[in-house]
Amino acid sequence: MTDQLGALTTIFTEFYYWVTVVLMFLIHVGFCMYEVGASRYKHHQHTLMKNTMLIPLVTVTWFLFGWWIYWAFPTGPGIAPSIMNESTALITDESTFSAKWYLANTEYMAVNLGDHISGVFWAAFLLFSWTAASIVSGAIIERITTFAFGILAIAIGSVFWTIDAAWGWHFDGWMLKILGYHDAYASGVIHAIAGGFALGVLMVLGPRIGKFSSSGEPRNIGPRNPWLVTIGLFLIYTGFWGFYAACNIPIFDLGPEYGMEGISYWTATNIYVTPTTLSGITFNFLMSLSGGLLAGYWIAKGDPFWTYSSGLAGVICASAGNDLYHPIQSMIIGMIGVVIAYKLHYWVERKFKIDDAVGAVAVHGYAGFVGLVICGFVLNGYPSSGYSVGAMWDGTTYASINPLGMFLGAIIMFGVLGMLPGYVIAKILHGMGKLRIPREVEIAGLDYEMMETAKSDEKTVSSATR
Amino acid sequence: MATVTNWIDHLNKPAEEVAGAIYPGAGSSETLLVILAFIIWIGWHVLTAKSESEELERLARKKHGANDHKSNIAEW
Repeated sequence: MTDQLGALTTIFTEFYYWVTVVLMFLIHVGFCMYEVGASRYKHHQHTLMKNTMLIPLVTVTWFLFGWWIYWAFPTGPGIAPSIMNESTALITDESTFSAKWYLANTEYMAVNLGDHISGVFWAAFLLFSWTAASIVSGAIIERITTFAFGILAIAIGSVFWTIDAAWGWHFDGWMLKILGYHDAYASGVIHAIAGGFALGVLMVLGPRIGKFSSSGEPRNIGPRNPWLVTIGLFLIYTGFWGFYAACNIPIFDLGPEYGMEGISYWTATNIYVTPTTLSGITFNFLMSLSGGLLAGYWIAKGDPFWTYSSGLAGVICASAGNDLYHPIQSMIIGMIGVVIAYKLHYWVERKFKIDDAVGAVAVHGYAGFVGLVICGFVLNGYPSSGYSVGAMWDGTTYASINPLGMFLGAIIMFGVLGMLPGYVIAKILHGMGKLRIPREVEIAGLDYEMMETAKSDEKTVSSATR
Repeated sequence: MATVTNWIDHLNKPAEEVAGAIYPGAGSSETLLVILAFIIWIGWHVLTAKSESEELERLARKKHGANDHKSNIAEW
């Protein structure tokens, strides 16, 4: 950095992402509180440990290969050429944003005075990875082994979500070019994929003991601690706000970026490097949150668990297009997503005997899927990128946003990269006898021995005289 | 309904146009959206008030005592 404007822009951007990472940490705090609140007393500590240990597991693997995948896979490989090197191969050449610079053993993956951005950008994406894994965590509480969850967390957090991000959440992603995919705040690339992955795992894992009667009627296993659920979801809302900021580039001159001679246009942009404003997305975040809360309160008849979850589902549903929607459009889209997700949750539960303990498949998967489909209609005709505009299926230019492309994108996110891998990996773990805890342990409670030891310790201490 | 169909063309416009609204239906749909929001807002009050009244009436008919709720505290 040798000039003042360059230095200011760089240091501001570095600090901006750093702050978003700290804010997003609250998402994980919220998920931990929420899951413990939703689990029964006898499973509390194992539930907490399971979700906590995804932090180091996903972080280390994200450092080793997750971040590399994001930069290597935008072309597919083999589906659409990169705008950087015009090749459809993995991007591992000498180009500026090549995965070559993000191998774990390069000098950019460390303190480097020539690179102020890689670390904070890496961390922002890492927090998205934690979120993807944590979404899955809630659905499968009280009966999965920590070992199996660790493998599944790495699969969704450091492999499958980063592939989908390379394909549909990267300025060079093939889904933008061929389908006109647009997903500014991750309805699909985080939420639909994680919800789909959770559904795939649940299909193999099966329900908690007692969830369904002998005639197949579902029983309600409500949250053990509504206060933890409440605070947890409020923290998730707060962290989600940080997530919205982290999905933007805070300051960028688009004139030179788009190759426009003599034109300078400074703005915030979304992940696709197209203009938006932090001000605009703040309107939309709050209006979609409100739409979700209003619809959730109404459809769940004031049930707090679903009302809070619906606030989140409202934001998730509107997120795909919240960089461009009008706030009232955002609110209405949030409401539609909540009604569909709520109805689908109970229909799937009854029809297929799926026990999603926290409604994660509905709130993240169905709401995310619906959000992508709606976005295709409401933003029909907008460019998916600023670099060029072309026809669908062409691949050398960027298709405009359209309903068919967004529908196909939703299927790729939820089904191809979410549900299918979740199902296959769970099947393998099940085949190894490593997926589910023994029936006797599930009935007694995962924390039984911890609680017994605590009782014994307490007895010893309370009977002591000195 | 798209307000922008090509970002390069859009940014090449005069500065005052570039700085304008970019949401779908800008300049033509705002009033309709506001009317819709009013209908939703009022409709929500009507629907939830009706639902709440039904629930309260049902609860009142059961005539529970002041301490009855204590037997309903679940210990999972």
